This record gives sequence, structure tokens and C-alpha cells, in this order.
Amino acid sequence: MAATTAAAHQQPVHGPALTFPRPIFAAVAPHPFLQAHLSASQPSKAPLRANSRTAHEFRRVGINTGSLTHCNGSAVVRLGNTSAVCGVRAEILHEEHVQGTADFAPSTGNEAEEDLEREREREEIESLRVLVPNVELSTGSTPQHIPGNAPSSFAQTLITRVRSLLLSTSLVRLSDLRILYTPPSNPDDPDAEPEPQLKGYWVLYIDIFYISIDGNAFDAAWIAILAALKNSVIPHAFWDEDLETILCSDDPSEAHPLTLRGLPVPSTFAVFEGKRDWNESGEDEEADWVLSDPDAFEESVCRESVCVVVDCTGGNKGTKDGILKRLEKSGGGVVDRDVMKGLVKRAVDRWQEVETATNAKP
Amino acid sequence: MAPEAVLSHLHRADGSATYTHNGYCIIGAVNGPIEVLRRDEMPEEATVEVNVRPAVGVGSPKERHLETLLHNTLRSVILTRSIPRTLVQITLQVRSLPDEDSSTGVSPSLTLLPHLLHTALLALLSASIPLSTTLTAVLIALPSTNTPTASTQLLSPTAIELLRAKSIRSAHVFAFSGEGKMLLNESDGTFSYEEWEEAAEAAAEVCCKEDGGVGLAEGMEVDGREGENLDDWLRSVVRTKVDHEQRWKSAK
Repeated sequence: MAATTAAAHQQPVHGPALTFPRPIFAAVAPHPFLQAHLSASQPSKAPLRANSRTAHEFRRVGINTGSLTHCNGSAVVRLGNTSAVCGVRAEILHEEHVQGTADFAPSTGNEAEEDLEREREREEIESLRVLVPNVELSTGSTPQHIPGNAPSSFAQTLITRVRSLLLSTSLVRLSDLRILYTPPSNPDDPDAEPEPQLKGYWVLYIDIFYISIDGNAFDAAWIAILAALKNSVIPHAFWDEDLETILCSDDPSEAHPLTLRGLPVPSTFAVFEGKRDWNESGEDEEADWVLSDPDAFEESVCRESVCVVVDCTGGNKGTKDGILKRLEKSGGGVVDRDVMKGLVKRAVDRWQEVETATNAKP
Repeated sequence: MAPEAVLSHLHRADGSATYTHNGYCIIGAVNGPIEVLRRDEMPEEATVEVNVRPAVGVGSPKERHLETLLHNTLRSVILTRSIPRTLVQITLQVRSLPDEDSSTGVSPSLTLLPHLLHTALLALLSASIPLSTTLTAVLIALPSTNTPTASTQLLSPTAIELLRAKSIRSAHVFAFSGEGKMLLNESDGTFSYEEWEEAAEAAAEVCCKEDGGVGLAEGMEVDGREGENLDDWLRSVVRTKVDHEQRWKSAK
């Protein structure tokens, strides 16, 4: 390097210089740009990415809850330049509008039957569609999004992933969404205890609106949903015998919050495959990097991505504990079983961070 | 039961395959390399387009998700850089699903995914698109530990097996390349890392060619699943195809 600068001093260069500024390097050759960043640092320091984070560093989560007035619960979540708003709105689904689900069995509370119970609940939530997530990309949130078109396949994929995670983790309890009515006396047998009747359900419309997307849209959406659902309050709904309809109490002290099952937190990783022949030294150095929480630039360069969803609510974090809720990996073959083990550890660390952020009082 | 495959039976498409396994039947067609829309053209590589059509009705966000997964996986398998500024179009039509598919307790996208991957690969082979490697995929389900059939992995289960096992704790789809690299993984449910690792190992056993090792294969013979190696199956399909194409040359 020193030799070339000395040579440049001896014979002054005419015409355009052979160097160009950072943003132009990034635009012209994104792949070598990121590789130069990751491999150029001194061996003593961890390599830095173009956004000056280390490979294992996530962006800080900023959560602001209750910012929307006309929602039962809402949250604004920020991960760097990615920001998403989530609003939860509850609407009543009357029992007579539901097809053939009259068999309402109250929970037995039996430990062994809990799995089956959850399974049944999941099926009921899925078939009744009482959880309705939707994703909207606002105009100008990302350059890839062209306004005025049908939802892109990116948005549709996002909705599908959010919906299936909502269902498979059984995050929302059906007991919070049922509207029950206990008659004053049992119609069949006046001496027996009156049995509660199912009169309707609360349907939760969960809308996610991106203000801007700078990579890792899924994590932002899911953390926004978690925060919004934690913040949601459902009004007290009751069956009015005289009017024969469901009424809601407008007294906020009677309303109940949602009690969520655990706290599944996703961590997304992007795998950057360095070009091995590009480095002419031929040394056997690390050529692939697994980047935590990729931004939009990194996502455009990386092909393989991994998403790990963990829930360490019970306090267990070992490899034997059933903390994993979902693993998604596609696009390449760099992440194998050993690498995945490290990623699960990184996701567990991330869970701690997000848990602290969601529980913090604003 | 090894999957059944019929190659190159649609004459208007560049490549086609019909794949039948465990009651799932999918027709795949590939057109490529063909001219690409100006908007989608990439200067250094080919554009890959995947269309998934469901058995009933029109495509929904669920199909878009499957398309995204297939697109990401196939893009890493196809040598896109050797056919730049072209389009490889893959259309997969689900012809039939087992009757029990919707009530297995496992997400229908997971049960369908390995079959879609196989069909797409066979259609690509039939169209002679340059590929860097082959691909095999399998579904593994872990039943709930409370049930009597505890701690038995269900390898590539049929819909009826899933229905009988009722209460599946976690389901995993793995796809491996010809060299044994894990290309795709979708896991859903509640599971520990160790369970996942065991499932991945079992999946690798089913998908990849063994290098003389015995390993789990002995246990599999007991179950009457001898020779159920997807890599071998894929090789035999390709051998049949090549034999058919060379029949004039080899006939003496």
C-alpha cells in the first residue's frame, strides 16, 4: 500500500482518480464492498460490517406502546431504520354466525391433557379465524415496494409466516376470546349448577403497518405484535337476557388484559458467502459470515437466511429444553448442524434483550 | 414406498415431471431458458420464477410463501450465472392431496413442501437446466411425548400415520443437496435443539447417499424400509431417463 502511494507521488496522476467514495463502491459492487468490510479489520478486533455492527450484534429494540387511540392495543417498534406499527382491534363474532361449533367444553385443567387441549384450541382458533393478521407496506417504506399494486409476494409471505407462528405458538388463549354467559339457573335441572353457555368470540384484527423497512421485517413485525398484544385490553362483554344480544361495559376497570402464552422471540440471520477466489492470498481463512439482524443492504447481498424462534419463558436455556418454536432456513447450504447450534445460542441471548425491552414500562 | 416419477410427458413444455408419493400428486413444468421481462432481467444471472397452483381454488398467501421458499432453494441449486439475462419458469400444479391432509395437525405447507421440491427438481432435470447439485427432501414428525407411541420419529409419514399419531409436537422438513449440505429447513412446533439435531441426522440418513457407513440403516431394515434412500431413488430416475434418451445409441 505504501509503495503505491509513493509511486503516485512520484508521477502525478492525470485524469480521474482510481478511488471512489464509499457509497459509490457500495452501489457499484455491493458484494466486494461488504466482503472488504468484513475481512479488512485488524485481527485483534472483531470484523465490522458496513453498518459498523459486529457480525453477532443485533440492533437495539425500541418499543413504544399504546400510541394509537382507537385500538385495543398498539405498539410502535423500531429496529434501527426499520419501524413498524401494530394495532390490535377486537370485534365481536356472534355465536349464531359461527358454523357448527356448539360443543363448548370447559377446560379440565388436567396436566396430561394440556397438549391435547392446546391442540384443540389451536384448531378452533384456526377454523374460526379469530386471529386476523395483516401486513401493509406504506408508500415509500422501501424502494422495492411499488405503490398501487396488489400485495407483493414479499408481503404475502410475511403474512403467512406471521399467521402460522401465531397459530403454532398458541400465543393467544381462546379463553380470553370467548364470551360466556352463565344463566341464573340450569334450564334442565333447577337444582344443578348452571352451565356457562358460549355466546360469541372476540376476533382480533392485528394490523401491521411498516413506516420504513431497512431489513429484518419479520422480527420487527413479530415484536410489534407481541408488544401490542401485551398492551391490549378487551372490554368486558356480557350477554343481556332482555335484549338478547351481547353488550360491552364501558367501564375500563372491568376490562381484562390478554394473558399470552410465553414470549416467542424471533432472531433472523443472513449468511454472507464471501467469494473465496476473490481473495488471492489463498489462505484458509473464514470466508462465510453469519450476520445477525441484517439490514436491507445486507439482505440484498445475502442469499441464505435463517430465522430462529425461541421462547425461554420457563427459565430453561439448555439444548435439551424444548425452547425452540420454529426454525426456518433457506437459500443455501452454509448453515449446518454445528452452525445452527451457535445460532440458537445467539437467539437465546437475543430473547433476553427483547424480553427486557417488552417488559420495560414506558 | 419410493416415490413414483414420470418425466418429460408434457410435450409443449421444455421439461416436465409428474410425481406421486403418499397420496400427493404434483405436475411440474419448466420453461427455460427463455426471454425475460425487461423489469425482471438481471445482468449477471438468470431469473427464477416459481408458480404453485393449489389443488382447489386459486393461489393464496400460503402458496406465495411456498413459492418464496422454493425460489430461494432452487436459485441456489440452478447455475443461474451460466445462463444470465434469461428466465427459468417453474410451474407446479398440485393434482391431488390425500383426503386426510387438512386434519393431520401439521401445517399443510410443511407436508406438501418436500413433494414440491422433488417435483421441481425432476422437472428441471427433464428440461436439462444446468444445476450445481441435486436435491432431496423429507418430512419428519415427532409425536407428543404423552402419547403411547412416544419418542419415535415418523420418517416421511403418510397423512394417515400423522392422523393416527395425533398430537404431533413438532414437524420438520429438511432438504439436502447431493453433497449432503442442508439446503432448507422448516421446523414448526415445540422442540429442543437436541431433538432437532436427531431429526436432522435421521433426515440426512434418508436423503443422502451413504459412504459405506451402516449407521441407522440397520434399524431401518427392521422396519422394512430397506433401500429407502432418496438419493438412490433420484439416481435411478435419472438413469431411466438417460437410458431412454440413449436407446438409439445403445441399441446394437
